[in-house]
Amino acid sequence: MKTDISWLNTLRQNALTQFEQTRFPSQRLEDWRYTNLSAIEKKQFAFANQVETFDDTHKNHLADFMLNDCYHAIFVDGFFDALLSTLPENITVCSINEAAEHHETVLAPVFNQAIESPHGFTHFTNVHFSDGIFVCINEHSQLDKPLQILHFATQQAMSATRHVVILEENACATLIETFIGVETQTYLTSSVLEIFLNDHANLTLYKVQQDSDKAYHFGGTYVKQADNAHFTHHNFALGGLLARSEIMSHLETGAQCELNGLYLGENRQHLDNLTRIVHAKPDAVSREYYKGILNHRARGVFQGRIVVAKDAQCTDSQMNNRNLLLSSDAEIDTKPQLEIYADDVKCTHGVTVGQLDEKSIFYLQSRGIDEDHAKHILTFAFANEMVDKITVPSLHDCVFTQLLARFPQGAER
Amino acid sequence: MSANNDEINNLLNQDYKQGFVTDIQADTFPVGLNEEVIAKLSKVKNEPEFMLEYRLKAFRHWQTMPSPDWAQLNIDPIDYQEISYYSAPKSKENAPKSLDDIDPEILDAYKKLGIPLAEQEQLAGIAVDAVFDSVSVATTFKHKLQEVGVIFCPISEAIREYPELIKQYLSSVVPVGDNFFAALNSAVFTDGSFVYIPKGVRCPMELSTYFRINASNTGQFERTLIIADEGSYVSYLEGCSAPQRDENQLHAAVVELVTLKEARIKYSTVQNWYPGDKEGKGGIYNFVTKRADCRGDNSKVSWTQVETGSAITWKYPSCVLTGDNSVGEFYSVAVTNNLQQADTGTKMIHIGKNTKSTIISKGISAGKAQNTYRGLVKVLKSAENARNYTQCDSLLVGDKCGAHTFPYVEVKQPTAQIEHEATTSKISEDQLFFCQQRGLSPEDAVSMIVNGFCKQVFKELPMEFAVEAQALLGLSLEGSVG
Repeated sequence: MKTDISWLNTLRQNALTQFEQTRFPSQRLEDWRYTNLSAIEKKQFAFANQVETFDDTHKNHLADFMLNDCYHAIFVDGFFDALLSTLPENITVCSINEAAEHHETVLAPVFNQAIESPHGFTHFTNVHFSDGIFVCINEHSQLDKPLQILHFATQQAMSATRHVVILEENACATLIETFIGVETQTYLTSSVLEIFLNDHANLTLYKVQQDSDKAYHFGGTYVKQADNAHFTHHNFALGGLLARSEIMSHLETGAQCELNGLYLGENRQHLDNLTRIVHAKPDAVSREYYKGILNHRARGVFQGRIVVAKDAQCTDSQMNNRNLLLSSDAEIDTKPQLEIYADDVKCTHGVTVGQLDEKSIFYLQSRGIDEDHAKHILTFAFANEMVDKITVPSLHDCVFTQLLARFPQGAER
Repeated sequence: MSANNDEINNLLNQDYKQGFVTDIQADTFPVGLNEEVIAKLSKVKNEPEFMLEYRLKAFRHWQTMPSPDWAQLNIDPIDYQEISYYSAPKSKENAPKSLDDIDPEILDAYKKLGIPLAEQEQLAGIAVDAVFDSVSVATTFKHKLQEVGVIFCPISEAIREYPELIKQYLSSVVPVGDNFFAALNSAVFTDGSFVYIPKGVRCPMELSTYFRINASNTGQFERTLIIADEGSYVSYLEGCSAPQRDENQLHAAVVELVTLKEARIKYSTVQNWYPGDKEGKGGIYNFVTKRADCRGDNSKVSWTQVETGSAITWKYPSCVLTGDNSVGEFYSVAVTNNLQQADTGTKMIHIGKNTKSTIISKGISAGKAQNTYRGLVKVLKSAENARNYTQCDSLLVGDKCGAHTFPYVEVKQPTAQIEHEATTSKISEDQLFFCQQRGLSPEDAVSMIVNGFCKQVFKELPMEFAVEAQALLGLSLEGSVG
C-alpha cells in the first residue's frame, strides 16, 4: 500500500476515525434495514497480499471473463496488475496510486466529492484501498474501445479498490466493471467508484458482479452529472453470498440518467440494490428499471429513491421495479421512494411482485411445450430484456451465457 | 400558472370555521404526568382495579421508550409534563343521564359543528357519541341500538359494565408497548367509544363519534374499540375539530378494530383538527395509532379517511389480515396547506390465505406543506395467493410544497401478486385549458380537477361525510359538474 502522499494520508486518517465510529452499517440505518452485515464482522478477514504468480486454473478463469474487444485494467486481490492489463495510450488512464503522485492537481480536488451520504463501507474503502483506476478523458475526446475494469479475488481475504473517472466536456466513454473470484472461496471485496461528468459528457457503465457464491461484495458508484451530461448504467448482480450495490447520481440542469438492473438470486444469496437519483436542477430526465428473479432461499432487496429538489422544475422521472419469486422460501423487499419538493414535475414509480403469467404458460403449452420448459422460456425472457440492452457484443455474449446457465432451457443457443 | 395557483390557494385558504372556543366550566387536572396522576385519573373514572394496573404497566413501559423521529416531519420536542391529562366539562353529576343534563353551551357547540346530537335530529339516522375534551358527553340512540343487542357507549362506561369484553379485546390489536404514543394513550386515555356488534347483526344505523378538544393545554387521548362478532356489519364515522389556539395541542388516539368470521367494519374519518395559522403557529399534533385485526375468515375492514386538519398528522390505519380470504381496504385523501405536515399511509399485513388488500391514497400538497405517503405491504409465507393493489397519487399546488412517497413491499410468498403505482404531478395546464375552453371558469376547472382527483376515495365515504369532505376541500361539486 503506497501511502506517502500527504493529502491522501490525511484523507485515509479521517476515514479511519469515521470508520471507527460507524463500523459497518447496522440494520438500524434505514438504508440498511434489510441487510445484516454481522457475518462480515465475524469472519475477521485478513487483508489480501499481492500475489506474484498465478496457477493455470486461475489464468483460465480470468481468461473466461476478459472481453476480447476491450482495454483491460486488471486488479488481482485489489492490486493493479500491469502485466495483464492493456490500457489505452492516448488517454490518461493509470492506477490511482500513480495518479495520486502524478495527477494530484486533477485528482485531489475531486476525490471523495461525489459521495453525498458516506457510511461505514465508503469509509472502510477509503481507509484500506490498495489501488484503483484513474481515468481522465479530455474535452471532445472519446475512448475508442470500452475499458474493462476486472476485479479478481483469489485469496480468502478482504480487498478494497477505489476508482475515479473524470470525463471532461463532450467526452465519451464506455466502461465495464467486472467482479469475479475463485469459486467457493470466501472473501470480501469492497469497491468505490467516483464518476465526474462535465457538460455534455456521455458515459455508459456496465457492472457485472459474478463473485463466488461464498463471497461478500460491496460496490458503490457515485456520480456527479454536470449540465446535459448523460449517464447510463447497467447493473448485473449475479454472484456473491451477500452483495450490496449502490448507485447514486446527482443531476444538474438537463442531465440524463438511466439506471438498469437485473438481480438473479438463488440458493442462499442476498442481493441488495440501492439507487438514489437526485434531481438538483431543472429539466433533468431519469429512467430507472430494475428486475429481479429470486429462487430457492434467496432474498432480493431493491431500494430506489428519487429526490427532486426545490428548483428542479420540469423534472421527468420514472422508476420501475419488477420481481419474480420462484420459490416459497425466496423473499423480496422493495422500497421505491419519491421525495419531491418541486411542483412542475412528472414522477412515477411502479412495483410489481408476482409470478409468471398463467396465460402465457398455457399458450406455450398449447403449442406443445411442457410446463417446466415453458416456465424456463418465460423466466429467461423476463431477465433477457435487461441483457438485451447491452451494446458491447463480447459482454452481451458473456452475460447471456451466464443467464443461460441459470435457465438452460430458456433459449436456443 | 401563478394566477391559477392563487385561485387554488384561495380555495384552500379558507379560514378554519370550527375554531370557536366554548366557554364552559371544566374540571381539569393540573399539568404533569406521573403514577399519581394516573391513579387519580383511574379513580375519577371509577374504574375497576385491573384498569389501573393496565394503565400503570403502560406508563412504566412508556417511560422506557424514546420519542420516535423517523417520520418525514419537523416536530418541536413535546414536553409531556406540560400537558393536562384530564379535562371534563363540569356537569351536575358524574355522567349525564340524558340530553337535558348536558350543558347547553356544549349542545350549542355541537350545533355549530352540525352534529346531529339533539333528539330532533333523529331523522338523520346516525347514533352519535360525542367526546368533548376528555369525556363522552352524550350518546344518542343508545336504547334503540340496545334492542338489537348493539352496544354503543363511552369506553369508560364499557370498562365498568362489560369488563369481560374489555379484558378480552382491549390492547389485543395494538399492544400496550406497540409504539410511543400507543403506550402513552394506554396509560392516560380518558374516554372514547366502545362498540360491540353481536353475531349476525347488521347495525341498523351508522354510528358516529365526534371529538372536540376545547380546553387549552390539554391533550386528548381517546380510545376506540370496535368488535364485530361473526357475520355482523357496522359502519362507523368519526369526526374531529378543535378551537383555534396559538399553542400546539396533542391528540394521541388509539383505535382498535376486531372482525370475527365474516364480519365487516367500515370506518370513516373526516379529520379536521385546527391546522394552525398561516405562519404555522398552533394547531393540533395528530399522532394516532389505528389498527384492525381481521381475525376471522372472510372478514373485511375498510378504512376511509379524509385528512384536512392538524398541524402535523402522523397516522397509519392498518389491517392485519389474519383470517383466510379476509380483505383490507384503505382509501385516503390527505390535504396539506400552509405549513401543515402529514405523514400518513397504511400497513397491510397478509397472514391468511387468499387475503386481499387495496390501497388508494391521494395526497394534495399546497402552500409550504409537506405531504408524505408511507405504507407497508407485507406478505408472510402463510399468505398464499395474497393480492395487493396500491395506488398513490400526489398533486402539487405551488412550488414551495413537497410530496413524498415511501412505500415498503416485503414479500415471502411466490404466489402473491403485488402491484404498486405512484405518480406525482401538478394540475396540468392542458386539463385547465380544456375545461376553460368548455366554458368553465378557472376556479371551477381547478375545483373539478381536484374533485376528480379525489373521487375514488370520496365515493367510499358514507353520504353525509362525502358532502362534508367535499365542503372541506373548499370545492363544491355543484360548481364543477354544471
